[in-house]
Amino acid sequence: MNNLCADIGYRSLIKYGEELCGDNVQVIEKDDGSTIIVLADGLGSGVKANILSTLTSKILSTMMAQGMKVEDCVETMAQTLPVCSVRGVAYSTFTIIYIRDNDEADIIQFDNPEVILLRNGQNYDYPKTVSDICGKKISRSTIKLCEDDIFIAMSDGCIHASIGQELNFGWDRSEIIEFMESFFQVGFTAKTLNTILLDECYKLYGGQPGDDTTACTVRIRKREPMNLIIGPPSNRDDCNKMMALFFSKEGKHIVCGGTTSTIAAEYLGKPLVPSIEFPDPEIPPIAKIEGVDLVTEGVITINKVLSYAKDYLADNESYSQWGYKRDGASMIARLLFEEATDINFYVGKAVNPAHQNPNLPINFNIKMQLIQELSDCLKKMGKRIKVSYF
Amino acid sequence: MKITVCIGSSCHLKGSRQVVEKLQKLVDEHNLKDKIILCGTFCMGNCQQGVCCTLDGKPYSLNEDNTEEFFFNEVLPNI
Repeated sequence: MNNLCADIGYRSLIKYGEELCGDNVQVIEKDDGSTIIVLADGLGSGVKANILSTLTSKILSTMMAQGMKVEDCVETMAQTLPVCSVRGVAYSTFTIIYIRDNDEADIIQFDNPEVILLRNGQNYDYPKTVSDICGKKISRSTIKLCEDDIFIAMSDGCIHASIGQELNFGWDRSEIIEFMESFFQVGFTAKTLNTILLDECYKLYGGQPGDDTTACTVRIRKREPMNLIIGPPSNRDDCNKMMALFFSKEGKHIVCGGTTSTIAAEYLGKPLVPSIEFPDPEIPPIAKIEGVDLVTEGVITINKVLSYAKDYLADNESYSQWGYKRDGASMIARLLFEEATDINFYVGKAVNPAHQNPNLPINFNIKMQLIQELSDCLKKMGKRIKVSYF
Repeated sequence: MKITVCIGSSCHLKGSRQVVEKLQKLVDEHNLKDKIILCGTFCMGNCQQGVCCTLDGKPYSLNEDNTEEFFFNEVLPNI
């Protein structure tokens, strides 16, 4: 095992006028730390393509996850797919990226645009061998992973973007490579990179995609632990124990809550200096304690972080807000959504008497619920979450 | 002279931002930036009386409407 991990982002644009997408992406994370990603593009569009691609990606990912050989997986798939009544064939292209132990990636491809690999920000031409399985020419590669490798799998909708509209012959794979290389240095997450690519496709299509367009970006990155403490322990005598555990952990430290930061400052023997700047009028100001990466208010800030998290998982429209703003909630969002891969929550269960005022929209249950919902969202972003209560 | 305004959750909801902004404006208008230190603090443990403030350690309960009164009656005469 090494300290790398895969940050995955994928999304589809649906062909203009269709309700369903004919591309499908499945991601399976195995208990041993391996990840299987399958991107399938079904023949045609609409319902039929949707069924074909979903069957393909489900069958392939499930069988691969069970450790079956590629030959068996493809054979099963070929025999299972219903034959199209119009064209007389059963057909779905696919790309499989199998990341083993975050150390090696197997890339198995059939008829989709070739997976792009950016290494050190440059296109990396990896070796491929082609074999014949059930009459299909399947290309296979095994690649040793390096930090910052970026894999981009696409359906052909990506390279056909703009045909006959903005550009005469679409933009080809090499132009997509050039386009994506320019974003490498910024350190965007897989999801953001993927969104950038699809937004460009959408633009080239003039807002009316002529084909289902799907991209899946995988970014190999170092594991980045992050620790967040919120709330004093239910038993005040446990303060030191809780703080000692929290501050002994590797990675950045975020302290949320007024009382909690007072306790943290006492524990560290450093002054707590709250700011009175309001970069976002809704969010209470942050504070500073030497030795702590970020100090914020508690419930109101976390509530905002949660709404950013929910939006990130949906269409990520609020990225334009939390992506740069200097308020506590935006800063936590950047640390948790973009920087962290492993997040430890230290949640104190003390009931704040000041918050039991029925006139205030905050209380103990809300705090517990917020942390629960936030950790669920972060899990959906692919983060490893540990929550400890005190 | 030091004015401390609570910016904790509870006082935030009761309008500490408005109080802070009002005080900042008043301090500015009276050119008292070198005489008055305006700072924030987390919960003072007296949330029922929020927005909690202290003037050189003496507690006050402020809101958007009485901030000006506080400034003219308590702060200015004591400069």
